[in-house]
This record gives sequence, structure tokens and C-alpha cells, in this order.
Amino acid sequence: MALRLLGLVGLLVVGFALSLSVSEYALRLLNLAAIAGISVIGLNFAFGYVGLISLGHAAFMGLGAYILAILTTQAGWSPWLASVPAILGTGLCAAAIGFPLLRLKGHYLALATLGLNVSFVIVAANWIELTGGTNGIAKIPGLSIAGYALSGEQPFLWFALVILACLGFVASLIQSSRHGRAMMAVRDDETAAAMTGINVTAIKVAAFALSALYAAVAGCLFATHVNFVSPDDFGFAQSITFLSMLIVGGEGTIVGAILGATLLTFLPEWLRVLGDSYLAFFGLMMLGILIFLPTGIIGLFDRWRRRAPAPETAAAEVAQP
Amino acid sequence: MADLIQLLTNGLALGSIYALTAIGFVIVYSATGVVNFAAGQFVMVGTFAGVATLVNAGWPMPVGYIGALVVMALFGALFYLIVYLPLRASPIVTVIIGTVAIGITIQNMALLTFGSWPFPVPSPFDGMMIDLGGTVISAHAIAVVIATGVLILLLWLLMHRTAIGIAMRAVAQDVKVARLMGLRVQWLLAFTWILAAVMAGIAGLMLGPMWFADVNMGDPIALKAFAATVIGGFGSLPGAIAGGFFVGLAEVLGASYVSSAYKDLIAFGVMILFLLFRPQGIFGEKIQDRG
Repeated sequence: MALRLLGLVGLLVVGFALSLSVSEYALRLLNLAAIAGISVIGLNFAFGYVGLISLGHAAFMGLGAYILAILTTQAGWSPWLASVPAILGTGLCAAAIGFPLLRLKGHYLALATLGLNVSFVIVAANWIELTGGTNGIAKIPGLSIAGYALSGEQPFLWFALVILACLGFVASLIQSSRHGRAMMAVRDDETAAAMTGINVTAIKVAAFALSALYAAVAGCLFATHVNFVSPDDFGFAQSITFLSMLIVGGEGTIVGAILGATLLTFLPEWLRVLGDSYLAFFGLMMLGILIFLPTGIIGLFDRWRRRAPAPETAAAEVAQP
Repeated sequence: MADLIQLLTNGLALGSIYALTAIGFVIVYSATGVVNFAAGQFVMVGTFAGVATLVNAGWPMPVGYIGALVVMALFGALFYLIVYLPLRASPIVTVIIGTVAIGITIQNMALLTFGSWPFPVPSPFDGMMIDLGGTVISAHAIAVVIATGVLILLLWLLMHRTAIGIAMRAVAQDVKVARLMGLRVQWLLAFTWILAAVMAGIAGLMLGPMWFADVNMGDPIALKAFAATVIGGFGSLPGAIAGGFFVGLAEVLGASYVSSAYKDLIAFGVMILFLLFRPQGIFGEKIQDRG
């Protein structure tokens, strides 16, 4: 628990320090990274713990964002109030979809969720009365706390960091609870998990719904921060980006989810110095990371730790025969 | 009625493209287990190989086509070396993301080379129309369907009547046993990738005159080919063909009779229904990845 609180405080301190020292442009990227981080922590429930390959995560983020956008711009709700049906509705929707769909595994599930994401974009781009079609929905009101509007990059980042830290903390509590262990048991061996009395279907649906809840929170933050949503923001390519973030960071870990989201948000921008060919390099670099760092950044740390054990642990091992 | 014949021809022609793309995807999947998310980019590269030889270099038709297919064969070999070999032991997700990543690279290299402006691609049947008792249909569409039929026949002969095809099927069934039998597995796998790239290249060359050559054409084609593969039956060649024609017809007929905005929902909706109720597809293959 102490370590977890330390991580939570560390994230807030590092984020706060960065928010005071970097440029406006970097602040914008940090905001996008924090939003992506929340979404990827969610994906970690489905993929990291239960092993469900979801290529439809961006659709859940989009569903949350669109529900909020429609309720605020067309029904005049406050964004705080609208975020409640946005988040809960998305979670319910994921549970309803997950119940029949999660019998599938591996690339079957990957293609089914991909199909859902593509279908979501088609509907969002063509149901013009409700979603504004490809023009999207503009003028979504921003959040404000006690009369203080979170409109600038910096105040929004503070808010997003608090949400990220809280949701990361909750995720780590779930991870170490019996439900978290049940999720990992299902990932490692479904039959054995069922033998020990775990309700495999319930665990899968719960993890999938939980991942969608996190995605919807990220979607609400995105909609209120950018003040604009369009189908392009939630395409299947974005789902694959979320999955890449989780793999590059280190699947199955919350710190990895945050690191991966940050790195992959900034990496393309760093590569912009290469000019027009930066995306071509980005693809090659991703391939290189997958080949040489299959367990992600967290896996790299683990490897270092194993190669050079810290002096205290070495001493402790000697002391205990 | 006249309209229907026209729509059916166009649907079958588009379906031919999807079927060939799906075939390329399936032969790689059955031999290597790789779910190739760059399959659509293969088709795009094929189209632009045609642009390079026929338009930019100005080679005459047969030479230009052969040149483009040689480029595709080299492309397949390169993909085998750079992408498949390093990722062959990775989990499915890593392979999916790896092929997507290299797809981004391929797409952007094409963008740098050819620009974002769509190119018209010539066809030997440019401007030729066939009049069937009042219904005018494009000769290119008919030629695409016939060429696809011939290709499928040739592929069947290759897989069932030649030593290399039989060896490829042995590798697809069981790599270890194939190796014990003395087959040169790595060469056969490389040949599989080359064959897949050439099939995609032919699809690209035939698609070019139907659409415009556009560097963003890869993803929409890949998505349709995935739907075709699932509907037909994952890993099944007859399934890829049947699924491809179904998706092509659904797209063209759906656009005309149902809704042009939602035409693509038909293919993906049917795909999801198949996954839920008959995940082995039309041509049932054994299913391992199902609970």
C-alpha cells in the first residue's frame, strides 16, 4: 500500500513539476498523454490481466465522448452531469456486447472488436442528426470547478493528473484484490480458473466493462478538453495505438500503461525533426521495439534488476540461509 | 433488371479484388499463423507498382504488368526477412501491432514517393464497354472476374498438383513433421510470402483502374478482406473466395438498394454475426480459439 501511495504521489509531483516547466505545446501533449494513459489503464484490465485482445477500445472512448457531447450541446446538460450517463452508459454497453462476444478468443476476438470499432465509426459518420456526421460536434463546454474554468492547458493538466492518479490507484487496488487475481488466473489458464470456482464469463465481462468505463472517462476528458469530437478521433487505428502503448509500456502493469501512453504520445512529435518521413520512421521504430523489447519498458527494467541485484537484497539473501 | 446485371458485374469484380486479397491473407495465415494487418498495404503497393511501371516508366502493358509483379515478389521476400522472421515467435498481439506498424511505414513511404494526389491507372480495356441487350457493362469488370477465376484455378493446380504446392500444404499442416520429412521449411515459408504478395499485387493492378491509386486505399481493402475471411472461414481458401464475393456483392448491392452511407455496415455486421453464431465460417474449419 505504501508503495502504491508513493507511486501516486510521485506521479502527481512529476506531473506538477512538468506542468510548471514545459512549453504550452508540450503541455498539450502531456494532456493528451494523460487522457491516453487513463484509457490504456482501462485496456490493461481487458488485455493485460484477462488477455482479451480488444481492437475496439477507441470506440468505447468515442461512445463516452459522444454521449457527453450530445447531452451538453443538444440537451444543454452540464458536462459534469453528462459525464455520468456517458461513463455508465458506455460501461453497460460494453457489458451487453461483451456477454455474447467474449466467448471468442485470440484473433477471432481481435477481428470482432475491430469490426465493432469500424461499425461505430460508420454510424458516427453517418447519423448526421445526432452526431453531426464527419463534421463532428463542436463547442462542447469545458469543465469548471467552483466557478474556476479548467480551460487552459495547465489547469486541465492538473485536473487530468488527479484523475489519472486516482484511477491508477483504483486499478492497482483491483489488481491485487481477489478479482484481479481471478482475472489473471483466467488469462493464464481458463480451465484451471473455472475449476477453482471462478466464473470465467463473469470475470471476462467485468474486465471488459471496466476497461470501457476507463475509456469513457478518457473520452469525457477528451471531449471537454478539446471541445470537439469527430469520428476520426476514435477509429480502429486509435484502438491499435492504445494496444501499442500498453505493449510498449509493459502489459499487465499500470506504470507500464502510463509510460507507454506518454512515450507513444511524444515519440511521433520527437521524430518530426526528420521531416516528412517521420511516420515512416515511427513505424520502423515500433517494429524495432516489438522485436527487441517484447516485454516493453517495464520488462527492460525487470531485466536490469535481475542482472544486477541491489546490494541490500544480495545481503539479505546471504543473511537468510 | 438491366441495373441488376450491371450491379452484379461490378459487385463480382469488386468481390474478386477482396477475394484475391483474402487469399493472400489466408495462405500466409495457414502457413505461418501470422495475422497480417498489412495485407491491405500489399494491395496498395501492387497498385503503385503498376503506377511506377505503366505510368511513370511508361512501359507497354505486358512488360509493365510483369515488372510490377516482379517488384511485388521482391516486396514479399523483403517482408519475409524484415517482418516475419523477427516476429515469428511473438504472441498474436505483437504480430498484429508489428504488421500495423510496418504498414504505417509502407503507407508513408508510398506517400513520400507518389504524393497524396490519386493517380488514374490504365487498363488494357480502358473505355471498352460490352452491350448486353441494352445493359452496358465495363469490359474491365468482366476481365477482372475472368482473370480471378483463372488465377483461382492456377492456385488450385499449384497447391494440389505441384511438388512445391503439396510441400506448402504440408508445412501449413505441421511444421515439425514437414521439417522431419526433409522439406526446406524456411524456403517454403519465404515462397508463401512471395506468393501472397504477388496475389495482392494482381489484386492491386486490377483494382487500380476501378478506383484511383491512392496511398490510403490499403486499410479499407484490408478490413473488407478480414470480413471476407471470417465469413468464408478463417484459414480456408474456398472460404476466402466465397467471402470475398459475398462482401463485394453486399457492398455494391447494399449501396444501391439499402443505403450508400451504411453499405459497409452489412459486411461488418454479417462478419460479427458469423463470429457469434458460426465462427468457423461458411466452409467450416476446425476451431481452436473458441471457448
